[in-house]
Amino acid sequence: MKRIFVIFTTISLVFTACEKEEEIIEGCTDTGAVNYNTNATNDNGSCKYNLSLNFTHTVDGNALETDQMIYSNAASQNYSVQTLRYLLSDITLHSANGNSTLLDEVHFITISDPSTFNLDIQDLNSPNYTAISFTMGLDSLKNITDNYLNESFFPSFSWPDFMGGGYHYMQLEGDYTTAFQGYATHTGGTDGIDFSFTKNFPISLNIANANTTVTINMEINNWYSNPNIINLTTDGIMDNANKQALLQANGIADVFSVFYPIN
Amino acid sequence: MKKQALLLLCSTLFFGCKKDLAPMSGCTDNTAVNYSANTITDDGSCIFFSTTPFIIETPSGFPDMNIPTNNPMTVEGVALGNKLFHDKILSGDGMQACASCHLQSAAFSDTNQFSTGIDGFIGDRNASTIINAGWNNSNFWDGRSITLEDQAHDPVVNPIEMNDNWPNVENKLNANSEYVQLFKQAFNIDYIDSNHVVMAIAQFERTLISANSKFDKYLRGETQLTASELAGYAIFNSEKGDCFHCHGTQMFMDNLFHNNGLDPEPFTDLGLAKVTGNSLDNGKFKTPTLRNIEASAPYMHDGRFSTLEEVVEHYNSGGVYSLTVDPLMKKLGVGLQLTNQEKQDLVAFLKTLTDTHFLDGN
Repeated sequence: MKRIFVIFTTISLVFTACEKEEEIIEGCTDTGAVNYNTNATNDNGSCKYNLSLNFTHTVDGNALETDQMIYSNAASQNYSVQTLRYLLSDITLHSANGNSTLLDEVHFITISDPSTFNLDIQDLNSPNYTAISFTMGLDSLKNITDNYLNESFFPSFSWPDFMGGGYHYMQLEGDYTTAFQGYATHTGGTDGIDFSFTKNFPISLNIANANTTVTINMEINNWYSNPNIINLTTDGIMDNANKQALLQANGIADVFSVFYPIN
Repeated sequence: MKKQALLLLCSTLFFGCKKDLAPMSGCTDNTAVNYSANTITDDGSCIFFSTTPFIIETPSGFPDMNIPTNNPMTVEGVALGNKLFHDKILSGDGMQACASCHLQSAAFSDTNQFSTGIDGFIGDRNASTIINAGWNNSNFWDGRSITLEDQAHDPVVNPIEMNDNWPNVENKLNANSEYVQLFKQAFNIDYIDSNHVVMAIAQFERTLISANSKFDKYLRGETQLTASELAGYAIFNSEKGDCFHCHGTQMFMDNLFHNNGLDPEPFTDLGLAKVTGNSLDNGKFKTPTLRNIEASAPYMHDGRFSTLEEVVEHYNSGGVYSLTVDPLMKKLGVGLQLTNQEKQDLVAFLKTLTDTHFLDGN
């Protein structure tokens, strides 16, 4: 059966080639695609595209410098940044036709490991996207104790069951006012309240170019400034739902921004 | 398939007869332990190397154990590792075993502040416990060994510990017919080398799992905690005590390194910085699990505290400033401000982490 089919196919191909002079080769005809086929004459919709996400961190617009008491917040407190770890979840690209593509369910970023600043996405089906969205932290469906036991942010990111369970969204730590005082801006679900939030950025992104990078930036100082001026304190805030709500509002306002190449 | 085998057998027989090679029968499978290269016909006598997998039961709330693919857990390997761990043959003068300084009753730690090596030299760090070590991302107080296999290489040849050298240890083991047989059974090797010694020890250490303390039984609904223990549990897991950031989850450790404010600079022991060379790591040490903490005194990397009360008082007082002290420790001069009752409650809770079966070896 197989043999007959092969012979038949070969004969018909030879026959077709003779008759038409120019044969039709199916494949990806987009030169910007990773699987661009120079021989293809007919695009069969198989084109694949790559994209890099880059996570950056600034204070007052300048790249973060750690372990130095060089920053000042809206409450006029000097501070340094020693630790910054956070989770972004449901990182998703959106297309004009309403389709969405999940890039990563949970991505852990820590400034002590620069390899976490990059997320390489391979074999996307479309070159064009109209929006990117992500959730700061974990929504209540995800933020459950023991949900991520095998992730690199376990056990250090765990949030005690005593305070609602699940995981920290962010651990932003350093000194403030003097080197003798530490602050710990630890955000997360508190007292059963989900303080995660989703940001959606409209973009006009065409990734039909090699090495396209979309940057998601966190402006650290804005956690403390708009619309709520927040004082750093040595007191822990994980059991303080009011403070979590203020930080959430600031986070939604202008902590995150997205940059992408304009074609 | 059977036909093919028969055909092969026939041709082999024929070939054999013609060339008149001896012996005729034996084991012809070169993957068998008793493979004989000169044999022509297989008589079904092949004995294959086989080990029994040792199944690790992951306790509730723990991730999967990260077991190196080149050292899978076997019953034979674990038993061999257990024997080696307790055998003084690994030391230069035959007077010390791993177990000499890692006492099971002390959660595989040393009850002395510092351990004394075979030549009377005294170390400068308290012997680490071996509790759920299969989940460690690194080993030693300064994290200088990533794997347990790598870790086990060190004490055998450390001049202030067992002070032997590996060629000598290998010679001693290869001259011991029992070990030759046990290594053959566990790893199918004919010559015992240091790598397989530490592989066996690491396998044994991965079985030292403690997850059956009073606290575990409480979580499983099998027992109740006292009012004081519960109050301590609450302090432990709240911002008030803030123990959980480093000793959280059912692992009671974060697999990270911290400077917990023990000393001002300059540090006599740089800890993690000794390994990384980064001054921002000065005075940082690996967070130990708090499981069986009641049994593993003395405490801290240098065993400076002999009681849990002293440990709690250290955190309660707020610790000492240094450049690298953890931000979570920086309530300097203020501390936790726990009452005496709260401190007692915290210690009562810590004692619920004692796993008597683990300490007894039953």
